[in-house]
Amino acid sequence: MSDDEPQPEQSVPPPAKPGPVRRVISRVRRPDRVHMAVLSQRVPYWFVAAFLFAFSVVQIELNPFGFSDLTQRYTQDIADLLITGPYFYGTEGRDKVSVALVDEDTLHSTQQPWPWDFGTHARVLDAILLDRPRAVVVDFLFVDPRPDPTLPQILQTIADYRKAGVPLYFEGGILLPYGEVPIRSEIARTGVPVLDPSIPVYNGVSRQYYVKAKCMSGVRPQPGGGCLSAAVQVFHDVYGGKYPLEPLNGDLELTWGTKSDPINAKWMTRTDENGARASCLDTTPPLKRIYLAFFDTSSVQNLCPYTGEIPVQSLLSGDVDDPDVVKLVRDRVVFYGGSLEGAQDKSYSPVNGLIPSVFVHAMAMDNLITYHGRPQQNVMTVAGTVLSNNPAQIAAIIPVILVLTWLHMQRLRRRRRMAAREGHARSATFEYFLDKTIEKVWHWLAFGLALGVGLLLTLASGLSVANWVEVVFVSVELAAMLLVGLPDSVWGYLHHVAAGQEPPEPPAGEQAA
Amino acid sequence: MKPILWATILPGLFALTLAATSAQAGLFGSSSSPSSDACSGSAGDTIIAARTDQVDLYADPQATRKVQTLDKSKFPTCTPITGRWPNAMLQVSVGGTKYWVEPHMVKYRLAKGAQPVCRNLAMGTNEVKAGATRGLGEGCPKTGGSH
Repeated sequence: MSDDEPQPEQSVPPPAKPGPVRRVISRVRRPDRVHMAVLSQRVPYWFVAAFLFAFSVVQIELNPFGFSDLTQRYTQDIADLLITGPYFYGTEGRDKVSVALVDEDTLHSTQQPWPWDFGTHARVLDAILLDRPRAVVVDFLFVDPRPDPTLPQILQTIADYRKAGVPLYFEGGILLPYGEVPIRSEIARTGVPVLDPSIPVYNGVSRQYYVKAKCMSGVRPQPGGGCLSAAVQVFHDVYGGKYPLEPLNGDLELTWGTKSDPINAKWMTRTDENGARASCLDTTPPLKRIYLAFFDTSSVQNLCPYTGEIPVQSLLSGDVDDPDVVKLVRDRVVFYGGSLEGAQDKSYSPVNGLIPSVFVHAMAMDNLITYHGRPQQNVMTVAGTVLSNNPAQIAAIIPVILVLTWLHMQRLRRRRRMAAREGHARSATFEYFLDKTIEKVWHWLAFGLALGVGLLLTLASGLSVANWVEVVFVSVELAAMLLVGLPDSVWGYLHHVAAGQEPPEPPAGEQAA
Repeated sequence: MKPILWATILPGLFALTLAATSAQAGLFGSSSSPSSDACSGSAGDTIIAARTDQVDLYADPQATRKVQTLDKSKFPTCTPITGRWPNAMLQVSVGGTKYWVEPHMVKYRLAKGAQPVCRNLAMGTNEVKAGATRGLGEGCPKTGGSH
């Protein structure tokens, strides 16, 4: 029998109908695209919302590739450089905090090698006291029990401060070998408050400040255990009556000011990247600042510190009558610290670059004063419950998801109606521009919604921009996913695979249309 | 003008003139720097008077050995500075004996003025730029832009 001959029909058995599992596998491997497209147009509201919510949770909670953290911190830096620092951060704190800095030039001009003896520190502190500061914090560690005949001078200085009613604080050593005391026992025995100078650093940049710290000596522990960190303790003691400190449950999110104290500009200059000497007062026009902040961030940074700086050289020379020195000391909290190559204590600030760490303490103090004891934090407290920033962001994004999903469903419905209409075809050019317009409006709508939610969080609970900005980025991602119809396609595929039904008939109403 | 008006205005003008003169002389305000005519008879570097209630006298410029403490009233005025140390300590003769005193405890005047304190910040490093006069920023190199 040749192959060309027709086969009798009754000799071929009908193909066996595959079982349900094989049919599912078959649909997984070779889905019916037409069926999927129809099903995707009928995605239910709950699925889109759940899909977006799941994506948001993964993005925010699991921090894939460090994207979430990087976004937060990068935005915090840009906000400090571009918006908050130059335009919104007030100068109340700047006018009440100063830094007396020992630097290499001080050592050079006074021909005194480091470390100084206690007598020299006592001279500086005595000179500061003459101009009546509000409080003084010594940001040097006096841990080593080296012999020093001038030790009684610093003890006398502590007594003089006490007599004058000016609070004086010392800082203690941290991460010391077992058995090492954080400060010399002679100083500790005076009862002077000794504070923990720890500074949190994230990826090498100082953007936060601890609220709680290790208890050392001379400081009363907090009811919940532990003691307050250096700047927070000083603020509590010095300004607590005027600006009661709100309960702080997380870390402070530092806002870095960019407008350097005008007195700094009198005696300090900076060299820009071209080697030209520039003033410490930043006069970059707003539009140029915006451009530079995005494309050449380092050029917008100002090496001059925000906090007013008192040259210790002037204090040692007894220039306590200099009007600028008087202005920088009187009624201010003075942080006395150093910037020395031989004793590395520097931090990277988003708006300055590498600066002495004493300015981080000063900036935390500045924030506390400027925000009247309600600094920006990385947590929010709702009805007595402390939420870290991740749950807060997830909660914040829910209304954004609900609104975007509702708008998306409206768009799908309208599209189905338009498809059912015949004779209403529009030109390709019109369709192109309409699509592009909708796309832009859609993204900005998501951006605006999330921004509104974030600003509400800041105003209502003091949550820092760094801790809600992820909501904005995720919202725009969600908008993009809705625009390309990702949740719809996933629904179409899953529904097709699971149910495998024929495309449903369009509703009667749409048929009529 | 009526006498009653003169009676009102004249005391006011007088008070204003007095206040302006006093302010110029440094009677008001925060500055208590020695006026230029204090100890005008003393040429050269001079300690004008004690600033603090007590002045410590040291035997060495490193201020490691305190010899005695003098009350403000007993500290000599318009005394020449007989020596200066790089750490800014001042040498003075009290009762025929030379001692070192801490500059912040006394008001003093330098005939040639002191070096200004200036800094130029460049990528985290400082460069010393010396000038000619005393005080924050006086004599420091000027830059473009506002100050």
